[in-house]
Amino acid sequence: MAYPVSHKTVFVLDHGPAMMASSKENIDFDVFNKSRGPGIIPLAPVTKSLWTCNAEAAVEYCRIVYDLFPDDKLVQFVASDTSATSLNSWQHKQQNVQKLLDCLVVLGPPGHKTDPSDCSIVHGLTHAVEVLCELTEKQQDVRLALEETETTLQNKGRIICMTSLKSDRHVQSLQEAVQEAIIQHNQLSANADSFMPLNYCELVFVHVRPVGRKSDSISSPKKSVSPLLSVEVHVTDSGRSVATKVVGLAQRHYELFSTTVTGIPMKEEQNSGSSANYDVELLHSRDVHLEALNSGNTEGLLIQSKEGLPSQSLTLKWCTPKSNIMELQNCVGAYRVTPVDVNSRPSACLTNFLLSGRAVMLEQPRKGGTRLISHMLASHGGEILIHILSSTRSVLEDPPSISEGCGGRITDYRIHDFGEFMKENRLAPWTDQNIACDPLPLQRSENHLERMTRVWPIAIGDTMIFNMLSHLDPLPSLIVKDKLDDDEVLECKKAIYHVVGMESRNEPLPVPNAGLRTKGSKREEQYRQMWTELETLIKVHVSNSPQHQKVLDCFTDCHKTDGGNTSTIKQRDEAIMELETDLAVKELDTFVLLNPSTK
Amino acid sequence: MGIGDKDASFQFPCTIHVLCLASPQDPTIQASVSMYKKIIDIYGHGGEVCIPESTLSLDSTQKMFCQFFEEHCSPFHGVLECGHLECNIHIFPKPQVYSKSHDFEDVELEVCHNIKIVGFLDTSDVASPPFISRHLVFPLPPQTANTDAGASDEAIGDTGKIPSFTVLLHGSLKVENMVAICQVGSEWYGMLYSWADPHKKKSNLMLSIFEPGVKSLPWLGKFTHLAPHQIFTASPYGEDDNKTPFPVKITEKRSYSLNHVGWIKPAGLQADIQKVLRHARKLPEKMPHFYKELNRVRKAALSYGFTELLDALSAMLDRECRLLPGSAHPDAALQLSHAANALRTEMARDITQTITPMSTKYSSIINEAR
Repeated sequence: MAYPVSHKTVFVLDHGPAMMASSKENIDFDVFNKSRGPGIIPLAPVTKSLWTCNAEAAVEYCRIVYDLFPDDKLVQFVASDTSATSLNSWQHKQQNVQKLLDCLVVLGPPGHKTDPSDCSIVHGLTHAVEVLCELTEKQQDVRLALEETETTLQNKGRIICMTSLKSDRHVQSLQEAVQEAIIQHNQLSANADSFMPLNYCELVFVHVRPVGRKSDSISSPKKSVSPLLSVEVHVTDSGRSVATKVVGLAQRHYELFSTTVTGIPMKEEQNSGSSANYDVELLHSRDVHLEALNSGNTEGLLIQSKEGLPSQSLTLKWCTPKSNIMELQNCVGAYRVTPVDVNSRPSACLTNFLLSGRAVMLEQPRKGGTRLISHMLASHGGEILIHILSSTRSVLEDPPSISEGCGGRITDYRIHDFGEFMKENRLAPWTDQNIACDPLPLQRSENHLERMTRVWPIAIGDTMIFNMLSHLDPLPSLIVKDKLDDDEVLECKKAIYHVVGMESRNEPLPVPNAGLRTKGSKREEQYRQMWTELETLIKVHVSNSPQHQKVLDCFTDCHKTDGGNTSTIKQRDEAIMELETDLAVKELDTFVLLNPSTK
Repeated sequence: MGIGDKDASFQFPCTIHVLCLASPQDPTIQASVSMYKKIIDIYGHGGEVCIPESTLSLDSTQKMFCQFFEEHCSPFHGVLECGHLECNIHIFPKPQVYSKSHDFEDVELEVCHNIKIVGFLDTSDVASPPFISRHLVFPLPPQTANTDAGASDEAIGDTGKIPSFTVLLHGSLKVENMVAICQVGSEWYGMLYSWADPHKKKSNLMLSIFEPGVKSLPWLGKFTHLAPHQIFTASPYGEDDNKTPFPVKITEKRSYSLNHVGWIKPAGLQADIQKVLRHARKLPEKMPHFYKELNRVRKAALSYGFTELLDALSAMLDRECRLLPGSAHPDAALQLSHAANALRTEMARDITQTITPMSTKYSSIINEAR
């Protein structure tokens, strides 16, 4: 069990008035005045505050985490000023970007009126420790499952604190405060129900300074403070750099790698007649390129990230989809992806294209002749995955031919009939995916298959009754049901009487061309075999319901397999007439019901 | 090339076994064995180093090889079941034990002796699922699972004439382009399908084993919640087989399906401002669009505490108003200045409020802008 630190992450966002200072990065937003002619003075650029840049960066981190790991990677925001406030909780329904944005709106930007001396980031940090001691739904389930065993759940988490740090000493005092908080909260959580001591915490400081301001270098790599705590300090300018830094952290924390899809043909925005090729960079688990990265076979494939991420990106070329028909690909892994710049026009075009149901092959741009299609992008039910395609030779080359193996020389398999059988036994997802009924839907599928296969000859030559369905229908398809209504019982009886009639008129049975694999071709023997098969078919289903017994009774009345018929021909004809009268009366009643004027 | 040289590794996953033809007493063998173990570690996919038990001889060599074959090359004989239909099968290559440490549990599983088909799906619905291993499935004769090495041709010819469910299954899956979902272990599933070797044009029955877990293929939903389509009130496949219940849609949309606001890059902000302006220049026809985009930008600005943007946008709308040509509709000017003013009020910073169109004699219906 890995018990990853990344299961729970708390963003402690400094909400003190100092964060309202400007990031000192100008953003030109009034850029669409070309068509207006000269003389228009553009409006002054806007600048974001430190708070705005931090909030955007933190939300971007969450956007990536929620897109790639919607189930087991949780993030909580804590705002710290004169006190600490959690913006969301660990509950699954509060783990989404929309919730965070709604909470940020309610929180509002740092207040100008707050006295800076009343604010401290320590409030946020100690609250973060408290919150990390809370167990998530997943952790509670795991703890329950582990109760029988000797292993105990390990509770770990990460705190990412975005603030302004003053000096190394400041960092020192903050990490001491966190260490103290962990020890205290661990004591409090020891016997609480939905809390648990924190076994390990990774504390990450992101010191943000306005663009252009130099500050003492206080960045430091990750180092262990105690068995419970490790600390690292990152320094970054505000503005766009914060987001780049934070996304870089996300890549490290969740072991992400990037792929740049190149050569995507898109119509030009300005001129829809022409098209150009665009690139889109995607983020995903590092495992997508595990083989390539581990073996070092990445010559010509790795480039520096074009979106400004601190890491490299593996390029793959878009292959124009040839047809809409999706063949089964040899896929050895599938992982969620999310675009690095989700709003750019090329990203939106690519994601919309995939969401509309089209899949795209990705090729490794290699020098030399051979093309290597290594990955595929496809959407499934609203999320986009990258599939890793097996590109190595397999041990399964040159398999033997089926005709050389067991059963390979049989030529009259009931292939078409089994095809129909398969279609009748297709699966569909149950609407309520969380229902815990007994039997579970899959068990019902197995029960269904069991019933359908009680009698199922696999070759044409092994059966008589399945070659004469036009005479026996609808009995074979009705008898396998778990319930029969009166009409259906009547239909089965009708079918039995029909065959009885055939025998009495000595009509030929439709024997398959290849001949039966069982004995004798005399009509008498064929009828005998037919009756035996029919009896077996009805008998195996007699326990389905009491109505089924009626069908068996009818069969037994008409025919016994030990030789002659128990009833005379006259009695049989009388039985048939009675049955037909019943049916006729029923039909008349139905007619009158539908046409009251005829009464 | 030396040990540790990355170029020395193969470009595909490779398990290496080394069987030494030397006596265990040979003094050089210890050094060699540790060297071989290092090589196996570098290639990273496991393997074994074997030495004969006793002095090198025909017997000891044979014994070493026989033991190796028993452990690594013994065939997997099992049974393929589909309700009451069944067939002895030989699966190649032998399925490996699955052993992996996940975030919250360690999983160790072995493939069952009985592979149970639970239902069928169209190939297009199963949508190229990832597998952890692939195996060819061959039918075996019904009486015994262990064929003698020296079976006569006549005996083999006889088995060719005994109908085998595996052959029927393969034929039908190929014709109908379907797959059979099967259970290979506890909460562990796979699929059977017809696979053709592209070069030789021969096709065989193939078993692909999925990652263990009930939810390992999210677009099929949970495996335990796959039901026979006939028990639904309305057939999920439609009356004429014209629709499909797959893929199962995800419950929460991803960011690329939502109108996510991304202003980290200036281009994102510029694009959203441009949307507002485009609609502004087409007032009053584009009134609902204008107010919708305006409120979207306003809400995002409030989320990020970017109040300076509201003032800037307000100034921009004032300017648009001033630059309106004389031929513009009078309502355009009214709406633009109304919006510009609204952005400067306290109400604009209250997220529970929406900036709505001004009711003028030109717009008798107030369009609700959200």
